[in-house]
Amino acid sequence: MNFKQSFKRTVNLGILRKKHTEVPDGLMKRCKVCKTAVFVEEARQNQDICPSCGNYFRMHARHRIEQVLDEGSFEEWDTDLEEKNPMGYRGYLEKLSGLREKTGLDEAVLTGKGRINGIPTAFGVCDSRFLMASMGEVVGEKITRAVERATKDRLPVIFFVCSGGARMQEGMTSLMQMAKTSAAIRRHSDAGLLYISVLTNPTTGGVTASFAMLGDIILAEPGALIGFAGPRVIEQTIGQKLPAGFQKSEFLLEHGFLDGIVERKEMKRTLHQLLRMHALPMERKECSSEKQIAELHKKLETVFARRKPEEGMEAWDHVSLARSAERPRSADFLALLFDGFTELHGDRCFRDDPSVIGGLAFFEGRPVTVIAQEKGHGTKENVKRNFGMVSPEGYRKAQRLMKQAEKFHRPVLFFVDTPGAFCGMEAEERGQGEAIARSLYDLSALKTPVFSLVIGEGGSGGALAFALADEVWMMEHAVYSILSPEGFASILWKDSSRAREAAKVMGMTADQLKKQGMVEEVIPEEVPLTLENLPKEIGRVREGIRLFLDTYGIFSDEELLKHRWERFRIM
Amino acid sequence: MIQKLLIANRGEIAVRIIRACREMGIATVAVYSEADKDSLHTQLADEAVCIGPAPSKDSYLNMERILSAAMVTGADAVHPGFGFLSENARFAEVCEKCGLTFVGPSSNVIRALGNKQIARNTMVSAGIPVIPGTDHPILEVEEGEKEADRIGYPVIVKAALGGGGKGMRTAWTREEFSQAFLTAKKEAESAFGDGTMYIEHFVEHPRHIEFQILADSQGNVIHLGERDCSIQRNHQKMIEESPSAAISQELRSAMGKAAVGAAKAAGYVNAGTIEFLLEGDGRFYFMEMNTRIQVEHPVTELVTGLDLVKEQLRIASGLPLSVSQEEVRLEGHAIECRINAENPVKGFRPSPGKISELHFPGGNGVRVDTGIYSGYQVPPYYDSMVAKLIVHGKTREEAIAKMRSALGETILSGIDTNIDYQYEILSDPDYQAGNFDIEFLNTHRIGGISNEL
Repeated sequence: MNFKQSFKRTVNLGILRKKHTEVPDGLMKRCKVCKTAVFVEEARQNQDICPSCGNYFRMHARHRIEQVLDEGSFEEWDTDLEEKNPMGYRGYLEKLSGLREKTGLDEAVLTGKGRINGIPTAFGVCDSRFLMASMGEVVGEKITRAVERATKDRLPVIFFVCSGGARMQEGMTSLMQMAKTSAAIRRHSDAGLLYISVLTNPTTGGVTASFAMLGDIILAEPGALIGFAGPRVIEQTIGQKLPAGFQKSEFLLEHGFLDGIVERKEMKRTLHQLLRMHALPMERKECSSEKQIAELHKKLETVFARRKPEEGMEAWDHVSLARSAERPRSADFLALLFDGFTELHGDRCFRDDPSVIGGLAFFEGRPVTVIAQEKGHGTKENVKRNFGMVSPEGYRKAQRLMKQAEKFHRPVLFFVDTPGAFCGMEAEERGQGEAIARSLYDLSALKTPVFSLVIGEGGSGGALAFALADEVWMMEHAVYSILSPEGFASILWKDSSRAREAAKVMGMTADQLKKQGMVEEVIPEEVPLTLENLPKEIGRVREGIRLFLDTYGIFSDEELLKHRWERFRIM
Repeated sequence: MIQKLLIANRGEIAVRIIRACREMGIATVAVYSEADKDSLHTQLADEAVCIGPAPSKDSYLNMERILSAAMVTGADAVHPGFGFLSENARFAEVCEKCGLTFVGPSSNVIRALGNKQIARNTMVSAGIPVIPGTDHPILEVEEGEKEADRIGYPVIVKAALGGGGKGMRTAWTREEFSQAFLTAKKEAESAFGDGTMYIEHFVEHPRHIEFQILADSQGNVIHLGERDCSIQRNHQKMIEESPSAAISQELRSAMGKAAVGAAKAAGYVNAGTIEFLLEGDGRFYFMEMNTRIQVEHPVTELVTGLDLVKEQLRIASGLPLSVSQEEVRLEGHAIECRINAENPVKGFRPSPGKISELHFPGGNGVRVDTGIYSGYQVPPYYDSMVAKLIVHGKTREEAIAKMRSALGETILSGIDTNIDYQYEILSDPDYQAGNFDIEFLNTHRIGGISNEL
């Protein structure tokens, strides 16, 4: 009903003095994603995340320091570098001094040293308010100096990156910063030291193509734009519209370029965890490896003693058990054996292969690298994990992780459970054979202890690329073979239905392989493993791994490699 | 003086505030949600701004949009009414920062009084009686048990950020304590995201007595007598009256003095309410202070002859109170019944919908505060209260008779209401004798409806 026109007014709006009220500067801002006006203070207390839609606002460098570093721990470095104008670009120096005044920053990056839950680290953070955090000479110099100083003081480096790329106003001088910073990171890495880069919105251009993408571990915030060429440039060049989500963190993760996406609220905890995992190098001493290894196996005799009489099981029964849907998968072993497992993704080339789970974890307080073939439970996950059939990018992810383990002298623990390497056109296109060969090549000389446990199916070369190790053990009902019994029957007898018979002649059970010296130990299963009984059965596995690490963890590189060479040399 | 007031509310209270402004020559700005396009407040105000979709969080609770409306219309003050943002310290703070006069106390005072523990500590230091209880937050059940032993059973466990009965449990014996504590804590964590609890003595069969106070920025604080709000269902008030049948002149002076003391201790400015629990033996305890105009303010207006909203606007404009304590006279007896769009027979289920026929009572000593009209569509999104019927008689008996007559004359069809239920309460011998406490609706089967939980 409309009364509006009928109601008599009691004031004359026309003669009112209009009071001037206004929202003071800095009280509110508009979220670009949901278009809501939000209180700056409220967003600040929410870690610069939009309280309305969860969008991540760009974080000022000082806020980032507050978010990540322990209170009051930040000691800033190199605040007084002189700005130059190498091309004599008009108004450049004036522009810089204006920005300095406006932002309270001396340049687009802050560097220094701080602590994360007590662990010291070199730390740098870009601020997009300063010429889109583009990299000119001073930025490149500050990054380089910070890395140099960290190398000298043997500190890890963490950079929070955002940037539009090279700073055009400085011309070729700016381009050279890409080379300088990359070289500094290389020298830091060659000194055996850690560098973690965290990519935030937006990270593009010459910064992406230099220090941003060179982290031992590369993390990103959700939804950040990360790329070399910006989306607008690409669209103009190719004359096409880019799909939604292109060049976003999630896209990069899927394409293998990120180790992980970390929510802002989890950032400090994650970084602390990663630093902890790199803070404890393993003690090594010179000793006779053969004697130690003999002692290890003597101890294992008790740990792995069979507590049940031999059953009249056929090889095929083992195959069925190894393939059973009830059987625990690698992820189930990982969950019980390790603490703080932090998955690291991607091969840095093409894709993150979901059939391989790799990452860092603590085994009874010891940092280790874990790399596992994962079939998953249930059809949906089976399909996602490609039934544990590894693609070339899966092997390349493993190679990347094991080389990193070598750099930090962290033992590598492999878990094998695959029907075989993936057979498909795409796999061949990307060099499946080369990928497996490269893994064998790298593992044969990897200067860190390598352990491999076959928990289910060990299918051929696809398994061997995860089992060129100092020792290879098998669960009692696991199998390991040149190919599947079906394939064997079909090739040799032209009849794949004779798989049961084939399994018998192939010598693929754990006990047979131990007899042949292909594997060192068989871990007994009191009852065939299931998800339910795994927590009870895992004790033996844990004890075995502990004894392995105690033994191999102290060997020198030479001893390790000699032993590994001889292990395969005699086969 | 305030020139143009934005009313950040809806329904009858928005209309009530606009009426005060119309009398005072203050221009008004209504804000409304898409569901309230045809509401009375939207039409009665000089200007009206739509602030978003129907759900409260997108409109009446959205500070940014309300502020924008104030900026666009050039309002110089904001009245928050009750509910919605009325006791939101952050909203008051933002108004202050933007140069808008917030009609209510300062944000700091709202914040302090909104935290039960801080409020309690303030009252303790000012010598206001409080219910024996913990003076620090309790997080663990073991510690709570020790405190409960000290306080004495029965005890009630309450969430520090609680309200509306959520995060609240009673333990009658030590055996019941840990269960009560853990349930309340869990509820508080899920409802308010904070499991900080406190424990206090559970006052048996109390009356809910509250004192209206007014405080100006010159430091004058007066009280306007009490309201008895003991007739409650699930902690929701249904009937309020002033004065209370349970209070002598002597007790009124004592409680009024405590109320004024409480407001002074809190540094309070504007209209506010101090809630007390009154035990059968005449002992009273401070419960909390409400930092806003209340639903039931008209009963105080009828017995004092003052206009509380006008007083609020005067205070907010920096003017002194229009009366002194000595000039305040409580005359006669006033009762208010809340008319809700709900169905008492079906568990008081809300009953939105179109009002087909409407007739309100009138006559000497009868007042109706409402935002509805014939043909109005009651939206399903907001509180179900659609009107307040308030009567004023020389005595309590006269007021009850007047209210029964008025309720009996009210016609509101098209939706279900609690009018008949209210009529039954007014007809109950215990109610008529003034013999009730806050358990009244749980212990009396009104109109055959039991509220036993």
